[in-house]
Order: sequence, then structure tokens, then C-alpha cells
Amino acid sequence: MQIELAEVEASLALFAEGIAGRYYHIAATSEFAGRRVRLDPGASALTRDTLYLPERLEAPDASAFRVLALQQLAHREFGSYRFDVTEALARLPHIPASDAFDRARAALPGVRASDFERFCLCFTEGPLANGILHLCERVRVDALIARHYPGGYRHLRRYHDQLIDAHPIEPVTNLSSLLHGLECIALGFDSRVAILLDHTGLLADCAEQLEAIATAPGDVYQSAAACATIMLTLAPLLDAKPDDLQLPLEEELGGPAAWMQREARLEDWREELAGLDQSLQGIELLDGDDPFAGEGEELGSGELRPEDRHLAALERERDTLARRIDMERSAIQDALGKEYPNARSYRYDEWDYLSRGYLRRWCRLFEIRLEPDKDQDLEPLVALMRHHRPRVQKQLELIRPLGYQRVRRVADGDELDFNAVIEARQDARAGQSPDERVYSRRDRVHRDVCAAFLVDLSASTDDPLDKSAPAAAPTTDDYPNLRDPFGAEDPPWEAAPTPRRIIDVQRDTMLILSAGLEGLGDSYGVYGFSGFGRDCVEFYVAKEPDERFSRATLAAIAGMKPKRSTRMGPAIRHAARKLVDSGSAMKVLIILSDGFPQDSDYGPVRGSHEYGVQDTARALQEAAEKGIETFCLTVDKSGHDYLRRMCPDNRYMIIEDVEGLPEALSTVYRTLTA
Amino acid sequence: MAATDDPSSPAFRDASNASFESGARLSAEPYYLALADEVDVFRAAYEARLPVLLKGPTGCGKTRFVEHMAWRLYREERSSTLEVPLLTIACHEDLTATDMVGRFLLRGDETVWSDGPLTRAARTGAICYLDEVVEARKDTTVLIHSLTDHRRLLPIEKTGELLPAHPDFLLVMSYNPGYQSVLKDLKPSTRQRFVSLTFDYPDRDREAAIVAHETGVDAVFADRLAAIGEKVRNLREHGFEEGVSTRLLVYTGQLTARGIEPRRAAEIAIVNAVSDDALVQTAIRDIVDTILP
Repeated sequence: MQIELAEVEASLALFAEGIAGRYYHIAATSEFAGRRVRLDPGASALTRDTLYLPERLEAPDASAFRVLALQQLAHREFGSYRFDVTEALARLPHIPASDAFDRARAALPGVRASDFERFCLCFTEGPLANGILHLCERVRVDALIARHYPGGYRHLRRYHDQLIDAHPIEPVTNLSSLLHGLECIALGFDSRVAILLDHTGLLADCAEQLEAIATAPGDVYQSAAACATIMLTLAPLLDAKPDDLQLPLEEELGGPAAWMQREARLEDWREELAGLDQSLQGIELLDGDDPFAGEGEELGSGELRPEDRHLAALERERDTLARRIDMERSAIQDALGKEYPNARSYRYDEWDYLSRGYLRRWCRLFEIRLEPDKDQDLEPLVALMRHHRPRVQKQLELIRPLGYQRVRRVADGDELDFNAVIEARQDARAGQSPDERVYSRRDRVHRDVCAAFLVDLSASTDDPLDKSAPAAAPTTDDYPNLRDPFGAEDPPWEAAPTPRRIIDVQRDTMLILSAGLEGLGDSYGVYGFSGFGRDCVEFYVAKEPDERFSRATLAAIAGMKPKRSTRMGPAIRHAARKLVDSGSAMKVLIILSDGFPQDSDYGPVRGSHEYGVQDTARALQEAAEKGIETFCLTVDKSGHDYLRRMCPDNRYMIIEDVEGLPEALSTVYRTLTA
Repeated sequence: MAATDDPSSPAFRDASNASFESGARLSAEPYYLALADEVDVFRAAYEARLPVLLKGPTGCGKTRFVEHMAWRLYREERSSTLEVPLLTIACHEDLTATDMVGRFLLRGDETVWSDGPLTRAARTGAICYLDEVVEARKDTTVLIHSLTDHRRLLPIEKTGELLPAHPDFLLVMSYNPGYQSVLKDLKPSTRQRFVSLTFDYPDRDREAAIVAHETGVDAVFADRLAAIGEKVRNLREHGFEEGVSTRLLVYTGQLTARGIEPRRAAEIAIVNAVSDDALVQTAIRDIVDTILP
């Protein structure tokens, strides 16, 4: 039976998060975009933030994907990546530390390697040792899975049996058939049967090593020891001489496991750096005076004291380490591809109007928290919010709920409802069953609204509002400075030298409206979206509906910057999903954009926007089917032609005067939710 | 037939029988495994009559802890004759001050006053435990202000009585900061009248010990259940911020001990109980399936 990863991806991501205790994106191995690592499309791998699995599997059932995921996560859980070559060599005194790595560095300065690679370079057949080390590691991790995840192990056995059936063991006559035999034993094939097929006489000793691990799994160095023993056993089959040692290619050794080990090692270095920083701080605190020797001391004038020489050495060490960490980090990033560490990913369908059908799980959307820009001065924005707040709030107050109301004739309440009591007594006297609802109580009249504001962060929002005029700073008449009526002090606007851009208006609008909505008490989320291509739709979260507006929210909204393209469909679908999850009775989605939807691969014809318009229209229609009120606001004056086709029932508005956006938006909001 | 005087009719029920409130007679010691110094802290707070606020997720043992402490303080250490030393009020969003203090009931042709649980605890010197207090309406929290400072008075507005609390009376509230929205939070003026004890789910070993004790399943199976608890709690953010509670793990153990197949027991007590989202349920079912033998 063939199983598609896309079918199980969403639940698998949750499963992995539960097992590992942290989120991993799930992606097909074919999506792997690292530059220095090549992955076979059928392979699985774990990087810092993504679990790569084959796009489809031939397996008895969907649990096979779970098995592969569990194996990858278990490598992390059971310490495969904490491998340290120094420790390994200390535990295995019979393996001489090789100078191959040092020679490699001399030939290629700047080359670093993982501790796995360094360990394998101690053997003349480095790539072979690498393969065997990882085979032993797999056996060890599988044995630990059997112990800690017995249910998972049952599926693992079933999947492995199928793999053995697909590639049955062959007579063992040479190195490659022996390695295949070992592979089968690692998958659980009975080693006694395998040995019967062995013509080299070496398989039994190798199998013994694997079985020892499987019966009593220890730490990663157990695998290293077994690898060393197997390498010794295999010596008669190897023809390399120690002298003609060749440096293996990076791909022959590397692989994601090596990079994961480097990532784990990076953590150790970071800890080391933190330790150095701490001791440096300690020294500076203890010895804050002039580091140069003064008069009356034994050292020559201007010479450093011994403790300060120590300080200088420490500082040097710290700087070297910090540089090393930076270089290593960028090397890892280069090898494993772009990462989205604090993001979650989702897949969405896309509507292909040309073939009148959905492209299933076509787009990958990353939900990313908007990082506030630390250097940005927030004061002008606070002033802006303060200035606009009364007007917007006044508009929104028109829809303020009524507050408490006394509800009469209820079964339970804080007061007796006397009319009901009297009627109940009358009924009782008349010999009829009285109504039991004789109380009254005060109930709050709820306003259960959740709104999502979706702000277009495409590159074009960087355009100035008025393309002909230079800076379009509002005049002081628009924003009276009450503290300084004579204009002696500069209004906050003139502090910004750049001309006002579309993004500035969108951002300010969101801030002004947020200020008003806080007063109203509705829950609302503020999001931005952009991205590039279907595999990378970016959905930025400035504020979630269940968060209160705080200075951090202000900073996050202020951090909205023009990014890349406008793939509207997935962003709308994701916002709709959030609204549905909010469980509110009334759900509103308002989109602020500056033009038609477009992206690099949004439709087959570059330059034609019809595909994007149709997909967006479809996404809006899907939202409406989920009970969401949608509305598009755009500053694109030529928007009538496509908005009419894109938005249902003319649910759109073109803003002629961009500075009027805040008021237009609050009017729209009021109309939609009242 | 006229049902006017039928005592089972809701309109004429006695407030003491209301479903939200229950009393504990505490004839045997309720099991509680201390995770830190909470037993000593609570005893000291009781001796000083300082009101206590218990914070923590659902099903982590807050109520059991209060029962255990009430047993210790009233039965073990003082052998008090008080019949009901602990009165628990399960708060909900329609719970009003009236429900706690008392109300006029119709009985025959007259209206009679009936004390609510809070009033009864204050009169008799019991511990009054307000479970999930932020769920209650705002007017209830203000009501307890005068009870929880040096005055220790309960004003009963409807009868005009100003009830001084019994010297043994103590107010304990529980509060779950997790799932309540930010809009439903305790006012600082209320919060700052209490000393706060923070609870969380126990670590894996102690949770296994609790499950084993409460259910009688063997230690290995109890450890597997605790492992499920640990892993499922990693998914707290996905629509069920609480994670799976120790209570649900105990339920699973109890069902298993009575012969239900473990996966089925987990399905009933964990998978279906924790979330209604099909996707989340699938993930939890997969975790259970992976961990159970």
C-alpha cells in the first residue's frame, strides 16, 4: 500500500511535537534545500527545525511514517548527537587518533568536521567506518525504542520485516554482500540464518557486535566501540593500505547526522562562551581599577599585571570562540538550508481555476511571530494612537454592548421574581403545577466577536504614497501639538526623514484601530503576510486574539516591514482557520492590501494575475462558508476590475485618500460587526 | 396533584443540597503525595489563618491536597468534632454571591432564609474551598474581601446580619491561570489577600507512584501512563492548554485494572477527554499507541 506523507503530515507534526517536546516542521525529503548535504529522496533526516521524510512510502499502513519519525527523534532523545570524538578515543585506547583530519585542515584551511567525521577518519576506510558507525547507532536506537516505546517498536518491526522482504539477504561473498547482510541483521533478520549464508567467515563476529548492542543498549560510545571492532574484523576484506589514505569527499561522510552533531556541539560552545563571559565579568568586577602598574609596584611602569595578562588572554579566548561560533552557525545554515526556528508550518490547498480543481496541500505557510525592531522609536506611534483614539473610539462605541440586564423568570438567580412567585402561588392554590422559574438574575449581554486583520506586507508597500511629491509629512494643522501651540517644538512627524509609504499608513491604521478596539473589548488578531513561492508563504503574527494590546504588541506592529510577494489565498485560509478556532459567534476577516495578489509561481503564466485573483476569491468564499464575514480594503486605485471578481457581494472598498484609512476601516468594522 | 410543597422541587430545594457545593466528612485520610513543602506551608498558613490561593492546572491534585490538609488539621492533629470540616464550592460563570451566602426560599406559604455554603463554613469554623474561583461572577470575589483580611466578617446583605467568622474558619481558593482568558483574571485586590501555592503536574516518577497507588496497576504500567502524560502535555498549546491531567491517567489505570484493554481505556479516558479536535485526537492516539506495549 502506498501512503503519501501529505496525508499524514498534520497529525505527524503533532505526534512529533508530543514525543520530542518541541515543534518540528514536517517536510518531504525532496523539499530539502541544504547546499552541502545531499539526501536520497527515500531517506529520512532530522535537522534543527525540520523532520524530513520520504514523500511516499510503500508500507503496510500509515504507522510506517510514525516509525521513521520516531527513529529520527529517538536519535536526538538518546544522545546520538552528543557524540564527542575525544571522549570516544579516550574510551577506545586501541584506536590510534588519526592525523588525517589535521592533514585535511592543512590542505583545506577553514574546514571543520563533525566529531563523527573525525572519528571515522581514524580508520583508513573513513566512509565505510561512517556507514558502520551509523548502522550500529541505528541498532542501538531501535533497541532503546523497544524499551521506551514498546508500541512504536511493534510497528517498527512490521515495517522492517517488509523492508527485508523487499531486499532479501543474499549469499555473503564479498564486502558489499556482507554489508547488506549486516543491514538485514540490523533490521531484525535472524543472524543465525544469515550466518548460514556466509562464505567469508566474518559475518558471525560482526553480527555478534550488533546483537550485543541490541540486547543491552548503552550510550553512543557503545556504537563507536562496536564500529571499531567491526572495522578490525573486516580488515581482510579491505584492500586499502594505511599509507594511501585518501581524504573522503564531504558528502561521503557528512549527512544530516554529522551536521546535527555539529549543531549539538555548537550548544556546548555557547555554554563555554557563557562561562567565559561570566568569568570575565567576575574579574572585571573584582578588579575595576587601572590595569597598568602604578608606581611602587614591582612591575615596570605601563606593564600589565599577571592577573590582567590573564584577563587579556581570557578576552582573546572569548573572542576567538565567539568568532568560531558565528562561522560554525553560518556553515550549518548553509548546509541544512534556511531555517524557521520559531515558526510553525501548515499546508493549504490552492484553487486552480484552469483545471477547476484544488491542488491538494499545495502551499506551505510558515506562521512566524513578528519580531519588534529594537531600534525603532515608538513614541511617535504612541502619540499618533493617542491623537486618533477619541475619534475612532467614538465610532466604535456606537456598537458597545448594553452591559448588564435583569433576566426574569429563571430557575436560579439572586432575587425572587415576585410576579413569578405570585403566579406560582396562584397556580398552586388552583391545584395546578406551578412554574418553577421564580427567580430573576442580572446577566451580562455578551458581544462575542473575533476579528482578524490581515495586512499585506508585499514589497510594493514600500512605495511612497505620492510618487510625484517627496516627503508627505502631515502638516502640523492635522496633528496639533497641544503642549506647544506655537510650534516651537518640532512635531513628531518631522523626525522621520523618509517619505510616507503605504506600509506606514497600513501600520498606523492598525495601531489606531487597535487602540479603539481595546476600548470596545472585542477580541482581534493583527497579522501580516508575504512570502515567496508556494513553499514559503509567510504569515506574521503581531497580535493573537487572546492577547491584550501591550507595548510588545505595539512594537510588533511597528515592526511590520515590506517583505516580498502577495500570495493571498493561503494567508486568507490560515486567518480563517484561526477565526474558526477562536470559537466566537461572530467572525470577521478584514484584509488591507495595496494591489492584486501575485507571487512567483501563482499560476502558470507569469504576468497574468487571473490565477491569483481566482484563488483569492475562492479562499474568501471558503471563509464565508465557515461563517466568516470578509472585507477587502485596498489603496490600489485601479482595484475595481479585479476586486469586483475577487470579493463576494462587493465586500470591498478602495481608499482614495490613504490618510483616511483609519476612519474608513473603523466604519467598515462597525458595519460588519454591529 | 399540586407539587408546591414537594421538597424535591428545585424551587423549594435547600441551598445546602445545591449541586455546586459539597461537604467532606473526611473519615479516612485522603491520599496525597507531597511534591515540595506545600504541606508545611499550608499548615503554617492555617495556624496564622491566612487565606490560601492554590494555582495550577486542572486535575493536578489541588482539591485532593485541600482534602488531605483538612483531614490532617481537623482529624489527625486536632480530632475536631466538626461534622463537615471542608466545604467545597465548584464555581461556574453563573455562580452569584447569593449562591454562596444564602437566599430566601419558598417553603409552604412563607419565605425562609437558608445559609449558603460560605456562610455555613464561616459559622461552623470549617475550611471553605472555592474551586476555580475566577469562573465565578465578579461580585462573589468582592464578597470575600471582608472575610479574608483582619476583619474576618461576612456581611449578609439580605438579612442585615454581620457574621463574624468562627476562629477556625479558613478560606481557600483555587485558580487555574492556564485556560482562563486574560479577560478573566483575579483582581489584584482579591489576589493580594491570599498566600499563593503553585501546583503543577508531578514529574514522571512521582506521577507514576500516584497512578500506581490510586489504581493498583503495576509499577511498569504506571510508568507508561506517566510517560503518556509527559508526552501529551507537550501538546498543551493545541486547543487544550491543560494537557492531560493526573486525574485522567488515574482513570485510565482504574479502567485497565478492571479489565479494559489498555489502549481502549486510554482512548476513553485520555484521547476523547482531552480534545475534540480530530487531528489532535489522532496525534494523542498515536502517542498512546507508541508508548503502550
